[in-house]
Amino acid sequence: MQILRKTNQKAYFKALELGQRKLIELLKLKGLAGRGGANFPTWQKWEMVMNTPSNEKYVITNADEGEPGTFKDKFIIKHNPELIIEGILIAAYVVNAKKAYIYLRGEYEYLENKLKKAIKQIKQKTGAKTEIEIVIGQGAYVCGDETAIISSIEGKRGNPRYKPPFPTTKGLFEKPTLINNVETLANVPLAILYSNWNPDLRLFSLSGNVSKPGVYELPSGTKISKLMHLGKPKNKIKAVYFGCFGGCMPYSHDIILSPEHICGKECMLGACTVIAVDENQSIVDLATNIAKFYEFESCGKCTPCREGTMRIMNLLENISLKNAKIEDLNTLQELAEVIRDTSLCGLGQTATQHLITALKYFRREFEERVKEKKNRRRIAR
Amino acid sequence: MSEFILLNELRKIQKREGYISEKAVRKLNKKTGLPLSVIYGTATFYAKLHTEPQGKYTIEICNNPSCFVNGSLNLIKYLEKKLKIRSGQTTKNKKFSLHICSCIGCCDESPAMLLNGKPCTKLTKEKLEKIIKKCK
Repeated sequence: MQILRKTNQKAYFKALELGQRKLIELLKLKGLAGRGGANFPTWQKWEMVMNTPSNEKYVITNADEGEPGTFKDKFIIKHNPELIIEGILIAAYVVNAKKAYIYLRGEYEYLENKLKKAIKQIKQKTGAKTEIEIVIGQGAYVCGDETAIISSIEGKRGNPRYKPPFPTTKGLFEKPTLINNVETLANVPLAILYSNWNPDLRLFSLSGNVSKPGVYELPSGTKISKLMHLGKPKNKIKAVYFGCFGGCMPYSHDIILSPEHICGKECMLGACTVIAVDENQSIVDLATNIAKFYEFESCGKCTPCREGTMRIMNLLENISLKNAKIEDLNTLQELAEVIRDTSLCGLGQTATQHLITALKYFRREFEERVKEKKNRRRIAR
Repeated sequence: MSEFILLNELRKIQKREGYISEKAVRKLNKKTGLPLSVIYGTATFYAKLHTEPQGKYTIEICNNPSCFVNGSLNLIKYLEKKLKIRSGQTTKNKKFSLHICSCIGCCDESPAMLLNGKPCTKLTKEKLEKIIKKCK
């Protein structure tokens, strides 16, 4: 796997040799883009922070991969943490930051020592002066949003902020801040050092009803059948979820796993999460389960998300319990669209995507559940 | 120089005392000058910080899609019955606290839970029973 290659800190020294401007040119040439889901060109973000005048700047590593079904960052931290630290040091050098933070999610607390060891080791080997501190998140999905991470490190509730100003000009402690995902930073040394570095290779997190779940490195644009072949599903796969926020799609062999191909179908590939769901599962129960997740994780700052996710959960519970009318499906659809269009941050805007797509592709299952008599009670949560 | 990070401080308190008590919040307020409301507001925002006393063993069991489609609901029901508590509660003997939580990133080994922060994966009822028995 490309992500497991070692660089032995050679990329850091090459970066020092090249200088800041040339390094940004190199990253532009190589075509490295953000791996957190937004695909924003990395060089552009770095250049923005570099060009913002300030005597204090920060680099934050987003290691808060809260998206259900995603575990690629855990994989990198477990198997190649040195690469991440080297990427952080290079980033700090380019943007002139003296201090860097790693925002590690609380659920990965057991990996803290591994990171600490790598920090000590790489700093010793490179002689870099950048201070790297680990901040452990305490379990909030919304803190995957870059402005929420900033609030969280500042010691506030992890509420997202309005943009602009963007973190690149006014971020942590009001200073210009560079925030990159773990996978992005881990790819920086590889992109700098290796001429055969492939920008198209992505880490796919495959889970769900498959017998061989795990992280698979495949080029963007691969057919889903290839991924499923590796995953070896036990039963016939009915649907795939691209995480909770990415929505769902009926499974077909020729779904192409690239952002461009999936976005057209109202789904989002995001951080390359694929959850396989087989025909024994009910989409209605799954939708109720995901709705509960969003209701729980909504931070409460903006009204559409706070109230809307709760109403959606109630309506779906009623459907699960067969207490609903067929008109409720229309209410559900309308509400889901309003939440998507009017919420403040990425969490709210994508909180109902799973439902919109489920109602589009699997409406019959919802209708059948509504029509069913109340003979068996099933509560999904 | 290292900045004061409230989140890390609250985590330390919880590690030391098991939860974030009113007394600890007041003490932190005196020490740092941060308003009580800010400290308490932060402490209550995060799912992993608790303002109520917790049991000796904290179980955080995941119920997000990857675990859900692999039968996490049955395990939760089993735990609730076995420990006679529901999510968010602590057993009378202060041994176990149970929390249904969001994804813990162990989707490749689902269903999974964290026992005092350590992942227990590929759970079955039998495996859970063994784990519970081992907790002394």
